[in-house]
Amino acid sequence: MSHIVYSTDNCRVTIKPSPWQEVTNMLPASIRSMITGLPLNILERLEEIRLRQNRPLILGLPDGDILLDINGKPAVAPRDCYLVTADDIQRVTQSISGCSLYAFGEELKNGFITLPGGHRVGLTGKTVLENGRVRTLKYITGLNIRISREVNGAASPLLPFIIDKRTGSILNTLLFSPPRCGKTTILRDIIRQLSNGIPELNFRGVVIGVVDERSELAGCFQGVPQREVGIRTDVLDGCRKAEGMFMLLRSMAPRVIATDEIGTDEDFAALEGVFNAGVKVLTTVHAASLEELNQRPALRNLLSMKVIERFVLLGRSKNIGTIEEIIDGRTMLPLPAKEVEQCLKYLPAL
Amino acid sequence: MLKILASLVIVSAGGICGMLVARSYSLRPVELRSLKSALQMLETEITYAATPLAEALGLVASRTDYRLAPLFEETRKELLSVPGCTAKEAWEKALYEFYPRSYLIGCDMAILRSLGGALGITDSSGQSKHLRLAMEQIEAELKKAEISALQHVKLWNYLGFLGGLVIVLIFY
Repeated sequence: MSHIVYSTDNCRVTIKPSPWQEVTNMLPASIRSMITGLPLNILERLEEIRLRQNRPLILGLPDGDILLDINGKPAVAPRDCYLVTADDIQRVTQSISGCSLYAFGEELKNGFITLPGGHRVGLTGKTVLENGRVRTLKYITGLNIRISREVNGAASPLLPFIIDKRTGSILNTLLFSPPRCGKTTILRDIIRQLSNGIPELNFRGVVIGVVDERSELAGCFQGVPQREVGIRTDVLDGCRKAEGMFMLLRSMAPRVIATDEIGTDEDFAALEGVFNAGVKVLTTVHAASLEELNQRPALRNLLSMKVIERFVLLGRSKNIGTIEEIIDGRTMLPLPAKEVEQCLKYLPAL
Repeated sequence: MLKILASLVIVSAGGICGMLVARSYSLRPVELRSLKSALQMLETEITYAATPLAEALGLVASRTDYRLAPLFEETRKELLSVPGCTAKEAWEKALYEFYPRSYLIGCDMAILRSLGGALGITDSSGQSKHLRLAMEQIEAELKKAEISALQHVKLWNYLGFLGGLVIVLIFY
């Protein structure tokens, strides 16, 4: 279903395509018609589309995968499945790159391309090495199209726990979970709400700097955010996190710096710089538990500094983006279960 | 009087036919030269500026010789207007429409067709190699076309009029 966007300034009404429509528009006509022929309740829940040359077309849903047959109907036996052809892969690759693969040199090195709207396409194939490092990808034979969704209000129940009620300042927060648990969606909504201001919590909006290395948070297209990230948010798109955090500190005077999926030693070193500048941090990391966080040397160092004030563990126990636990960074103890239960009650499904 | 008029028409028609053939010999090198410089522009846009293909084709179309501009402009339009269209398909469609209006011949078209298969599908060094190969092949064709023009332009210019004259003499 398309989203209708009303613009109040000049009374213009525009129809914004659904996330799945934005993605299926990039597919070859044959595959597009197979997917768009599926019931709307499947399409609205579509998380990813996997295309592997000479293997079945697989659609990823929260409750499992669907394989399609040549008529676009869910297939049961693998022999009935539609097999993705080399031409399909070639067409999708050309479509996502605007027939300009050469303009995505850095993206190919990293193994993914971000589409307008923040959808990410992972690529696999034959790597070409130069001095032992990946120079580019050739013979692309596998694509994973991950559909990005923005869920306004997804972070609302979490906000009272990351705003200091006494001082009204934001607490340094780390969201962590295994992949596909809604970290980016919740972080995006936190950014949007903190940037716009939250009248219910008597919180006035603050300037937020976002380093969006993979263009997933703001989904920038030609530098313009395609996702709602708030009116006081400055986005550095496609910039390395470590470098971007310092650039924002120097140039945009943010109160909060937000970034997604920190992981390298360089990122953690840059975070230290941000903490020392008195700027608050919102970030995410891949980990299934606090113990797992502790096992990573760079993260262990960060934990020992006791600068993160809130750890939020996300999961899929009820639905994507379920808040499993909120841990106080000073005591390293979970917040009272009763309070967190209240969160879960109002958490919208992602 | 009628005979003189008919003779004049025949000589003129012969002359015009000859000039048209001579024109195809003289304009082919002009088009090949323009084509080479257009591909040079495309290479610069792709390798140095990493301009997306559709935009790069539009820029080349706006700067190149008016005879060749439709080839690049039509490819750009096709790429932007047809969802899921590959660069090769757009290029081939534009070539198909461009060929009858140009003075290029089959072997020139073969070079362009082979280039179309590589457009946009490799990294910038790959694109550069494909474009340079096409430019070198065009350069070789250009040399042949210039020699051919030297040999044939004058010949056909005279041959047309003389042919007309011969017909007049036979039937007079």
